[in-house]
Amino acid sequence: MSSLALILGPAVISLGLGVRRIRMRATLILVSTALISTVLAYLCAASRSTAPFLGGYLRVDATSGLFLAVINPIFFGISVYVWNRVSTTPVLQDGIGRFVALSLTLLAASNAALIANHLLVLWVALEITTLAAAPLVIRRGVPASRLASWRYLLFSSVALGLVMLGFICLTRGIELGGQTPTFFLDRLEAVCAASANSWGKLGLALVILGLGTKLGLAPMYSWLPETYDEAPPAVTALLGAIQFNVVLVALLRVVHVFRPVHPGLITLELVAMGLVSMLVSTFSIIATRNMKRLIAHASINHAGVIAIGLGIGKAASYGLLLYVISNAFIKAILFLTAGKIKAHYRTKDTRQIAGLLKDLPYSGIFLMVGTFALLGFPPFGSFFGELLILSALVGSGHLFVFAAFCMLITMTFVATGRTIFPMIWGEPTHNHTWPRQTFLSALPKLFFLLALVVLGVYIPPAVNRLVQQVAVSVEGP
Amino acid sequence: MSPLLVALLGVLLVPLFIATWRSSLVGLGCQGLLMALIARQLQPAPHTVGDWLTLADLAIIRGFVAPLALYTVLRARSTPSRNDVIPPNLLSWTLALGMVLVSFSFAGLLEKVPGDQQTLIAVASTGVMLGFLVLATQSDPFSQMVGALRIENAIALLELGGRRHESPVGIQLGLLGVLLATITFFRSYLITIESSDLDRPEPGTGTEGPTL
Repeated sequence: MSSLALILGPAVISLGLGVRRIRMRATLILVSTALISTVLAYLCAASRSTAPFLGGYLRVDATSGLFLAVINPIFFGISVYVWNRVSTTPVLQDGIGRFVALSLTLLAASNAALIANHLLVLWVALEITTLAAAPLVIRRGVPASRLASWRYLLFSSVALGLVMLGFICLTRGIELGGQTPTFFLDRLEAVCAASANSWGKLGLALVILGLGTKLGLAPMYSWLPETYDEAPPAVTALLGAIQFNVVLVALLRVVHVFRPVHPGLITLELVAMGLVSMLVSTFSIIATRNMKRLIAHASINHAGVIAIGLGIGKAASYGLLLYVISNAFIKAILFLTAGKIKAHYRTKDTRQIAGLLKDLPYSGIFLMVGTFALLGFPPFGSFFGELLILSALVGSGHLFVFAAFCMLITMTFVATGRTIFPMIWGEPTHNHTWPRQTFLSALPKLFFLLALVVLGVYIPPAVNRLVQQVAVSVEGP
Repeated sequence: MSPLLVALLGVLLVPLFIATWRSSLVGLGCQGLLMALIARQLQPAPHTVGDWLTLADLAIIRGFVAPLALYTVLRARSTPSRNDVIPPNLLSWTLALGMVLVSFSFAGLLEKVPGDQQTLIAVASTGVMLGFLVLATQSDPFSQMVGALRIENAIALLELGGRRHESPVGIQLGLLGVLLATITFFRSYLITIESSDLDRPEPGTGTEGPTL
């Protein structure tokens, strides 16, 4: 019941925002819906029942439970940020109803994708998240954002088209293997062995390529830096911390079902995409002087690490999940902080921003801690995640990948530090008098930070149990 | 089915050489209608809601709605008729024809028995590859939309060729809804993206106010 409410609640409220009287209180509605969704998500995650419902199309298993418990609180944090932004900048009231309606649609579709037990339902939900997010990328009066939004929609449509093409090929492969194909995830495991043929391989390769494109992995990653840069910070946080994880869950599900049949293909494709993504993003991080683009390229880098971890499977799985969850909170902190910094300095050029710890203490601290987490410093979850992935690479004999991984991570570390550290500790270049930063504006990021530290220092047993269950399902034979 | 598939292959290729936006849209419409005829041949007596939804998807939405949605925008703007969906040079044309050959040999690998199934796979692969060729070589939104819709049509064709597994009506309606929404979005972007936007605007330009 609570899982169904996670889909229907935001969807119905989003429709209700068509009424003018409701639209007047849009931000309040956004925050309260997000809060209720967070509570419901924790109830779902705590529930032990994994039986499919609604004709078998929906099912809350460990994977859905874990990611519901990650994305809903992040959405809540973003909604508090939006509420604060709108209340301190009244001009933002204009068009807020549209933002709230679309972001609630995105939330409803994201929850549906996480709970879906049917590949086509999952696909439709992913498409809806894309269709809801595309208009959010547009900023009034900025033509570049309209183009970025179009490219986001185009790449997403093509990516999801490839995923659908892959599903059709997998279906044919299963037919050819003498089984009746199904799109139900829980039944697919029983028949997927029949897909050990050319159709099955082609289908799986296309699905991974399509989902990889949605994650921002090479070769089709060029939409990501542009979209993340042009979108308003709250939308970038929605894309990077919520939609990214929803797509990742789709990939986890496909890998879980098909790894026993096509282990070599999955490892080869994911590791290759991951390494190339890390390579291109490292050079882009070195070259860029744009704060948001730098974080966007770092996101591609992280997607590469995740792809490698997922490709290796086995012992990397637990670390991979720690890394993924930490990554969601890091992106939310960094993009929201970048928004705050840009709003004050009116530039994204890293060379024109210096001495943040003196100028904007809260933002300076968040940027500092977020960057340390981004670079995989202890005691954050990303450190342990990366460490476990590296040790699994050595353990599984992927020494070349290990060496390349270490080299690229080191280069990323130096390039990011070279650009970000002067922003934090450098001497302020101008004498600014900033308006006082309220505690409320820092609250969402403080919450994300707390979650990040908890993941690195002490994982509550209930969360740890969920992570372990998901890790077992991802690690493969 | 073979004459229809040959016609479909022609409809995929001709707009690449007759470079007007009208021929691209007529090509898209013809793809939808030909696929509807193929669906009718495969299922001569549609008797379920799902069969009728498939026909509506192919004949009405892909055959008429999608091309018309884009046509009305371009016509209202009095867009010059010339529009190259691939660069007009020998290299692109050779690439396009090469892709047809590659698609046919690829189909031979996937489906060993020559016949309609093999041809259908070859035509569908041609559609996907030519769609990607269009996307890879063009930067204006209209040509990119044509490329994306070509890929969508090729996927629908490949889906037609498989053994029939009736999806529940709810899911079919969901897929149809997503397609319609995508076409609506394409139309809206075609309206809002001015040609001046494409001259690589400097990020951060424009009269930007505060953002969320």
